[in-house]
Amino acid sequence: MPPVTTRTAGVVLLLLLLAGFLLLGALPNQAASIRIAGLSLMWWYGGIVAPALGTFVAIRWLAGPSREE
Amino acid sequence: MTSASRVLAVWLTPAVVLALPAALAARGPDGLWLGLVLAFTPLMTLGLASTYPETTSSGSRGGGGEPLFPVVTLLITVGVLLWANIVLAGDAAAWLGARRWQGIVVAAVTGWLLTAWRPLRRTAPALLAVALVAAIVPLAQLGWTTGLGPLAAWDRVATQPAFRFPPSSRWVTAGRDLAAARGGKPLVFEEVHRLTAPAGGLLRARTLDGSRLAEIEWSLTPGQTVTLRAGDELVRGSAVRLRFESDKRVPGAPSSGMTWAEDRPRRWLDRVGLLVTLLAGAAALLRAGLTVRLSRRGFAVVAGGLLITLVWAQGWAIYSTLQAPDLFLGGVTLERLLELPGPALFAGPVRRALQALLLVAGLAAFLASTVALRERLGAMDRTGGGEIGHDPGLWAGLFGGAALASLWPVDPWALTLLALGGAGCALGPAALCSPPPGRTIATTAGVVGLIVFATVAAAQLRGAGGGLLGAVIGYPALAGAPAGALVLWLGRR
Repeated sequence: MPPVTTRTAGVVLLLLLLAGFLLLGALPNQAASIRIAGLSLMWWYGGIVAPALGTFVAIRWLAGPSREE
Repeated sequence: MTSASRVLAVWLTPAVVLALPAALAARGPDGLWLGLVLAFTPLMTLGLASTYPETTSSGSRGGGGEPLFPVVTLLITVGVLLWANIVLAGDAAAWLGARRWQGIVVAAVTGWLLTAWRPLRRTAPALLAVALVAAIVPLAQLGWTTGLGPLAAWDRVATQPAFRFPPSSRWVTAGRDLAAARGGKPLVFEEVHRLTAPAGGLLRARTLDGSRLAEIEWSLTPGQTVTLRAGDELVRGSAVRLRFESDKRVPGAPSSGMTWAEDRPRRWLDRVGLLVTLLAGAAALLRAGLTVRLSRRGFAVVAGGLLITLVWAQGWAIYSTLQAPDLFLGGVTLERLLELPGPALFAGPVRRALQALLLVAGLAAFLASTVALRERLGAMDRTGGGEIGHDPGLWAGLFGGAALASLWPVDPWALTLLALGGAGCALGPAALCSPPPGRTIATTAGVVGLIVFATVAAAQLRGAGGGLLGAVIGYPALAGAPAGALVLWLGRR
């Protein structure tokens, strides 16, 4: 079995961020439509929070120490 | 492929970049999902360590050379991606008032010239930078002129009681050819609407008389008007210039801003289908045949570029929807997003300058993609020193074929998905799962994946339907990629 590396953890985190969007859409009573500071929860998450976290995850966990190709 | 900017240029072709604001404008949260998947799948595939193997037995050119199957698959994929983007150039030219063939010729000839002229090979990063600046300036100007920040603009769109034709819309002032409303949505009217044919022509509509549906054809003289009632539908295919009424609901638009902003339930199967297609496609396009990984700085450039693209797409979709709700007429299509929205917002010279910047952004992004796609293919040709990426005859044929095919209008995003899905099923599993070296199992798995993909894709011609089967038919990579992965897994045992 291949070892679990920080890169694997990074890929899993990105998948979890994607899963979060699906879960948010599946919340009952259109909870994702609740507005906070003018923007709905779904747009906060999908448009701002998840992309920003995804960028952070990629830089922090996916990059290798080796030089660029 | 030697830098992060080339990864961005390969992935972010104009058809992909414009598909984002188009999806955001048309379907709100579905567009957000597309944005997340487009931003994350390249990062995931670049982060994983496996590569497509070099085979030396059947399926290779022999003599320890590069495997033939991935090279041919990638060559076809690149050809289809070029086709999608040249189609878009033709669509944009037609939408902006030029001839369709003019857009096609400009895109194909400049793309090919970059191949023939060797000093221009390393221009992808500079072209991407030009595209970035030229795309951001009109967006910033739009935000500044409307006096609304992005959050306030979103709130304004999401609280619209209905999307109505603005008085400055070209559909209201001079009118447009009905054939330009090429989106897939039916042109159904929700209220009484008077249409004028400034130059006359033949107009067909399905009208609802009580519960009886009738198809009516009018032969209109120049300036003659026709009144349609709620429930009536314009039939596509009539080549007639039409003027719509100002302040009336746009046919094909969401019923309100709230409907646009809300997520529709039970769409997760389609979303998984899109994820699998783009994940496998990214693996094929960005990983197959490559062995070296990006540094932290390279990852920062790729991730940052993808984030900026997603943010730009959201801004462009929101301001376009706010300033030009006629974007929805008959369904949102990509080329409409290459037109600066809000005809009344800017004075003539400023408007022309901003419009020119938008076109420069589109052309620069296309040229960066052509350079990077050729480099990508050349990276597979190790024994030939990457010559396949710079053979003027081969690329003249590829650009010429794509240009000819582009004379027939097709949806650029559908073509892009087809290219990424096919390449993903053929090369994706092997690129992600690291098959044992020196065996033909990667090629076998790729062929099986491709056959399954093509079979299911052919079923699209009979309609998609709903449920799991509908999602698989809508996104054939949902069947093709697991089939290829299964063969690979069985072969490793």
